[in-house]
Amino acid sequence: MVSDSISAAPIPSAANTKNPGKKKRTNRSAKLKQYKIDARREQWLSQGAAKNKGCKDGVEDDIHLPSSPMGKRGKQELEKVETRRRGEEDVIHQDSDSESPSNSPISPNCSVLCGGTDSGTNFTGSSSGGSSSSSSSSGGCFSGNVTEEEEDNNDEEVEEDDGCLDDWEAVADALAADDKHKTSSHDEPVVETDLSRELTHGSSLGYPNSNPGSAGMVPWGSGNGRAWRVDDALRPQTLPNLSKQYSMPNPDRRFGGGGPWSRLSVPSPCPICCEDLDLTDTSFLPCNCGFRLCLFCHKRILEQDARCPGCRKQYECEPVETEASVHGGSLTLRLARSVSMIERS
Amino acid sequence: MQASRARLFKEYKEVQREKTADPDIQLVCDDSNIFKWTALIKGPSETPFEGGIFQLAFSVPEHYPLQPPQVRFLTKIFHPNVHFKTGEICLDILKTAWSPAWTLQSVCRAIIALMAHPEPDSPLNCDSGNLLRSGDVKGYQSMARMYTRLAAMPKKG
Repeated sequence: MVSDSISAAPIPSAANTKNPGKKKRTNRSAKLKQYKIDARREQWLSQGAAKNKGCKDGVEDDIHLPSSPMGKRGKQELEKVETRRRGEEDVIHQDSDSESPSNSPISPNCSVLCGGTDSGTNFTGSSSGGSSSSSSSSGGCFSGNVTEEEEDNNDEEVEEDDGCLDDWEAVADALAADDKHKTSSHDEPVVETDLSRELTHGSSLGYPNSNPGSAGMVPWGSGNGRAWRVDDALRPQTLPNLSKQYSMPNPDRRFGGGGPWSRLSVPSPCPICCEDLDLTDTSFLPCNCGFRLCLFCHKRILEQDARCPGCRKQYECEPVETEASVHGGSLTLRLARSVSMIERS
Repeated sequence: MQASRARLFKEYKEVQREKTADPDIQLVCDDSNIFKWTALIKGPSETPFEGGIFQLAFSVPEHYPLQPPQVRFLTKIFHPNVHFKTGEICLDILKTAWSPAWTLQSVCRAIIALMAHPEPDSPLNCDSGNLLRSGDVKGYQSMARMYTRLAAMPKKG
């Protein structure tokens, strides 16, 4: 089943993904969810059809080109129920995912949709809105997409959504991956298959915002969705950091080269103790001669004869360190100074 | 301790990888103790030590490479900077001028260089130093060559 869902994941074909995905989901969903689903189904059956139709039209006209047939949706009640349940669970999954990404440009859409519909859908809207507000503003196309699907009951979208979720589950099962990977594998099919959707634009806006943005989001953003962003504008930033060109002792270029994570990928060993130099060590240049060593060895040398292993000059004059203008550099500067003061006194 | 071990292990791998890189030096680690090494070095050409193979014993301290390894000749050698009986070597890089950037391999190279360029002003072997300081290069060379032949050349038959 898992293999089925995996193969069907990127393809928005209805028949394959629907049943296994549904089973899986019903197996997985809790009874609380079921309660919500029932309430919502009732509301949908009673009043949702007409209102939602109108709401849908307005929303789709507002947002983007209508990429899916509308009449078909409006008439198939059973399908709607199913898709609604589906969407609900998706949202719940999304909410349960702590790192669920939601995009700030999307949340207005959600609120609009919620306002247009009745209280039952309002519930979902609020939940997804909560997720969007709780998580930060990157790559949130998926959760936004889900809510919209709920409102629209767009079959195709739901199927794509199924694919996404199956993919997500498969990835989670197979890899037991961390949340980053879940959300990323989650995001990708939506982005690819749903190109005409406004949400895609939102996501494509969201990625560049998130990536060079806050430092806390950096690991997430770099691993975001497409691990193989060959064509992306971010690719040149991350790739040169992987190459060896920064492994040579040229601190200035290293600092200019990229984000703080760029230096992670250049483990060159300390020539003294042969341990790999970490971030702070690589930004640490204690001597004019350019001889690099780790802070531990540097400290131990200061405790002994305090001469640079490379040039045998005394370490006392440390002008190069001030050039290291990164946090680590200043930290090591202070460290080295204090140690050398102790040494002197 | 751990740092020295890691460092020595890396040097060991380096030696294994570049075994043929320097044909004059053969550096071997003790089977059971990575802090004990032996080296076989060829006497440099155009010196009285040419043709001889000299054995060195390395004893690596716990704080290596912050402290230099202790090296001595196991093979008898007539050289002003080598103690004739103990094989102790008077070489600045093994004492004050040691740098942690040096390796056992580079120490071997330094010793080969010392064999080619003796420093008679800081002798451990006074006889040898005196010969050189008195300008008796021939006497020094013949003595050194004799000991090379006696101690450092493979015995025939």
